Amino acid sequence: MTQNNRLSSGGRIDRSQPLTFTFNGKQYQGFKGDTVASALLANGVDIVGRSFKYSRPRGVIAAGAEEPNAILQMGATEATQVPNVRATQQELFDGLVCQVTNGWPSAEFDVMGLVGKAGGSFMPPGFYYKTFMYPQSMWDTYEKCIRKAAGLGRSPRENDPDIYDHINQHVDVMIVGGGAAGLAAALSASRSGARVILADEQAELGGSLLHASESIDGRPASEWAAEVIAQLEACDNVQLLPRSTVNGYHDHNFLTIHQRCTDHLLDCAPIGQARQRMHRVRAKWVVLATGAHERPLVFANNDVPGCMLASAVTTYIKRYSVVPGERLVLMTTNDSAYQAAFDWAESGRFVVAIVDTRAHPGGDVIDEANRRGLKVIAGSAVIEVKGSKRVTGVSVSAINQLGDKALGPVKHLTCDTVASSGGWSPAVHLSCHTGSRPVWRDDVIGFVPGNSQQKQLTAGAINGTAALSTCLQEGFQAGREAAINAGFDTVPSISLPKVDERHIGAAMALFHIPHSKPTSRAPKQFVDFQTDVTAAGIEIATREGYESIEHVKRYTAMGFGTDQGKLGNINGMAIAAKSMNKTIPETGTTIFRPNYTPVTFGAVAGRHCGELFDPKRYSAMHSWHLKNGALFEDVGLWKRPWYFPQAGESMQESLNRECKAAREGVAILDASTLGKIDIQGKDAREFLGRIYTNAWAKLAIGKCRYGLMCGEDGMVFDDGVTACLADDHFVMTTTTGGAARVLEWLELYHQTEWPEMEVYFNTVTDQWSTMTISGPNSRKLLSELTGDIDLSRDAFKFMDWHEGTVAGVPARVFRISFTGELSFEVNVPANYGLYVWEKVFEHGAKYNLTPYGTETMHILRAEKGFIIAGQDTDGSVTPIDLGMDWCVSNQKPYSYIGKRGMNREDCLRKNRKQLVGLKTKRSDVVIPEGSQAVADPNEPVPMTMLGHITSSYYSACLGRSIAMGMIRDGFERMGQTVYYPQPDGSVIEAEICSPIFLDPKGERQNV
Amino acid sequence: MSDVTNVEASSPVQAGEQAAKPQVAVMNLLAGEGPRADSPLAHAELGAIAKQSDAKGGVCLQELKLLGHLVLRGDPNNQSFVAGVTKVLGVALPAALKTEVIGELSVHWVSPDEWLLIMPAKQAFQLERELRAELTGHYAIVNVSGGQTVLRLTGPDVDKVLCKSTPYDVHERNFPVGKVVTSVFAKSQAVISRSGEEAWDLVVRRSFADYLWLWLQDASAEYGLQIKG
Repeated sequence: MTQNNRLSSGGRIDRSQPLTFTFNGKQYQGFKGDTVASALLANGVDIVGRSFKYSRPRGVIAAGAEEPNAILQMGATEATQVPNVRATQQELFDGLVCQVTNGWPSAEFDVMGLVGKAGGSFMPPGFYYKTFMYPQSMWDTYEKCIRKAAGLGRSPRENDPDIYDHINQHVDVMIVGGGAAGLAAALSASRSGARVILADEQAELGGSLLHASESIDGRPASEWAAEVIAQLEACDNVQLLPRSTVNGYHDHNFLTIHQRCTDHLLDCAPIGQARQRMHRVRAKWVVLATGAHERPLVFANNDVPGCMLASAVTTYIKRYSVVPGERLVLMTTNDSAYQAAFDWAESGRFVVAIVDTRAHPGGDVIDEANRRGLKVIAGSAVIEVKGSKRVTGVSVSAINQLGDKALGPVKHLTCDTVASSGGWSPAVHLSCHTGSRPVWRDDVIGFVPGNSQQKQLTAGAINGTAALSTCLQEGFQAGREAAINAGFDTVPSISLPKVDERHIGAAMALFHIPHSKPTSRAPKQFVDFQTDVTAAGIEIATREGYESIEHVKRYTAMGFGTDQGKLGNINGMAIAAKSMNKTIPETGTTIFRPNYTPVTFGAVAGRHCGELFDPKRYSAMHSWHLKNGALFEDVGLWKRPWYFPQAGESMQESLNRECKAAREGVAILDASTLGKIDIQGKDAREFLGRIYTNAWAKLAIGKCRYGLMCGEDGMVFDDGVTACLADDHFVMTTTTGGAARVLEWLELYHQTEWPEMEVYFNTVTDQWSTMTISGPNSRKLLSELTGDIDLSRDAFKFMDWHEGTVAGVPARVFRISFTGELSFEVNVPANYGLYVWEKVFEHGAKYNLTPYGTETMHILRAEKGFIIAGQDTDGSVTPIDLGMDWCVSNQKPYSYIGKRGMNREDCLRKNRKQLVGLKTKRSDVVIPEGSQAVADPNEPVPMTMLGHITSSYYSACLGRSIAMGMIRDGFERMGQTVYYPQPDGSVIEAEICSPIFLDPKGERQNV
Repeated sequence: MSDVTNVEASSPVQAGEQAAKPQVAVMNLLAGEGPRADSPLAHAELGAIAKQSDAKGGVCLQELKLLGHLVLRGDPNNQSFVAGVTKVLGVALPAALKTEVIGELSVHWVSPDEWLLIMPAKQAFQLERELRAELTGHYAIVNVSGGQTVLRLTGPDVDKVLCKSTPYDVHERNFPVGKVVTSVFAKSQAVISRSGEEAWDLVVRRSFADYLWLWLQDASAEYGLQIKG
């Protein structure tokens, strides 16, 4: 457990806090401040995974979000498993457990490696598509193998113990990126008083300032950064969010930020704390200061562990005090990468050579290299790496000035680390999320943000700006401008600090290093490490006719990995362009889409999971139902009692008991969930006439009426009873699930079609508790609870309503019936719902008052042939199809919604499906709902289907099964037999009959 | 108590007045002393929790239960409606997004033709009658006292709980004391009003009250939730 690559001093780690962690089952040590990647490098771990297709050993390449190889499976327990964690971004904590994701069964020895070693010709680009797509039926099997071998990580098999949440934020200025430009922007925006959020994906704000060689105002850049951060922290109007990746930039300046709150502390968040938080930010103005990613160069065997980005070498040395090798060869097309060699040398390790592809590099760095006595080989390139599990050396050759030909002679250098830099690609990802396309700039040798429709500014390296002083200047300017644009007048400008920086020489536009052999014959030159896309593969793709970069991407899988090709895409585009003799801007980029880095499902879900996944709505009597053993059914968001089983009862036995109680004694239903809409205004009655299919002009005060509601197409969508409370006052009931939709429907027509009508609609669903007392003893029971309502047959007729008190509580009582029995629906203000319900039971005991739920309600109404909108209707059924022409009035002076629709030719034709009753030949067989009817059970498949079962139950009162269903031309087929073939091969035979199975004259409810 | 069916039907219409009295059924929805009334969160037994709850929480929750709630609908451009309401309430109807408080009565703007009047339960029927006696023409009043409840949230961390719950901007620059909005709240909705620097009221529907109570407990957990009985 020695950290051979750790320097004894320097860096931003805390050597007083050693941490122990486990990688691939082995324990290692690191320090507080390390990332998993820096700790692995400190311990000399070279291999962190195996590659996707060829299973080649891979090591850490980068030091940030762009890392393609060090993608780990993390978690100390099954429940805390997290797949696809970037080791370069995961901070180390004590007890961290991780392992390689890819490289099954182990990264050191790999069965897939044999395929890779055998050479690329077995697995050309498009291999997976060509090999595994056919036959289609085998795809499930292939997918499992590919996923396992390719290493896409795995999700935990146990419930995640952590919580994740969401928070909404509103700011004047949102700054993305906490490097030089971002800090400068935050500082100047903050001075205006604007509300500012600064988010950065790293643990520490400061970006490259944390390891920069430049000085600001005569001090190390990191000190300037610390001072600015302290100033910002002191501002009430500024919120600093480290460890927070802005992953999505959506329309209307809406941004999603994934904050990792405790991922750096423990395997599992401390109790009461959210592990991760999704910030949903609405910003007036956005400043993108997202920086740039260094591009590696593409050369033969450039994936052997020990090949790294030049800037990553600097980062590991300066921030983590880790030198990831002994002997360095640096290859570069530009000045900035020289810093890696300087830092390496300063660490006391050997710089073998700086190989500069430029024939005549200028710039201050050349002088410095000379001063330091470092060997610079100009006009040359590392054309090939030697080694398999670690770099052992490189081949260096002179190249031509265009950079497309190796001129030789080839020299061998011994080294264990190859750092490369092809320049910097601005991190334009977010700027492209809202549809803007990036623009190529030859001077930058990269894509910069294009014009945006968003209220957005950019600052720093995202613009291709290299000099620190200019980054700071752009940051100050952008922050100030954003605050002014957001409406802040007084924004003091900040004077630019003095930056001591080098003169930068011109860079060379080079992406793909030539080999002495043609690309197709040379050892693999990797472009996208995570998906194993090579320069040769891209050339094959273009040769096979994939000319659009989007097609090249899909054919080769370039950019398909969890890293989304941050490292390789621009190189790939350049290689595609070159092989098609096009320019890079002509070839263009693929589209950048959210999310910038992977987001956990936990953070996406937030607290909308488990108990809080969806609201549960309860009636005022819910606690009683719970106490009395109800089982519940979901109806919309409501929890409705389904049935009330007694000890030892089967469901059917409960239903039989509940049904008989309603028919022979007295039973009670909690009907509070039905939608209730209060309608007031002088045009209320006329409005009802237009909304319902039947007539409302003559409904007297004190009376109720059933109504059907249709869409414009004439198809039934809701029904219910509406009572006339006064001439200008009605109360409408709707189905439980349809309540909100009906209210919207009324508002829609009122607000858009008939705004001149004087009527107001208000929901009173929650205001009233409703209990339906049904059965021959219901009058007797209710009479014990009310003194001021005359319940006698003549004083309180069927379809009347009366006001009075029930159990001393103001009530509206409706004599309506969904069971076909004598039935009273008692409505009391919901604050008294439970009280009245309890009182009804106190008095009901002697009548054996039986509570019933939705299932019994369904059976009782089906015995009577009453429909349930949404069960017996499906949006294709007119009132006529339901046999409910009695509920359609064509005498109304003004039309009603659905009239024209239901009178279309197709709705009037013969032979439509119609709602009928069905009696099975065997009375104990209940036809499954949804069963399809056929006339001839022996007809070969495909059979001619006549309709289907919509409702089907066993009726205890009738001693047989009953069903309702749609049958083509059903009204004309009374008495005929139809057949319902079942999945098990059996056939249920049934006779078509009236859907009214019980009491067709309605005598029971008129007692 | 049963002031049945049409108290207004027989009210005389003043001579020369064009607009008629609407014919509506008005009833006193408050029972006498006998029957027990249960608020929408009665089952949560907040009173019992209050006795043992953390006194140092960053969020304090109290149900202002069993108040009188009247929905008032009308056209704010109708002078006689506005004048009539002002006369009865003693305060002008608040403009968009504003709350007016006068004594025990608070009046919340809800939408361009809707206000929510909250007062002690016993005053609701009286106020409805006074308004109906004064108003003519097209308007509506609905007593929804049983259909909703008020959750009062106070404390230094309430704003953070609100940020977790609603996409509306609750920062003091956008949401000063005296403002009210009806907006999304978790997966339900609430009438959200700010009654003080650190004091907020949520008016929530009865059937959603339990869900929102669970939500608020969860969202407040990290700040410490104190319950006031």
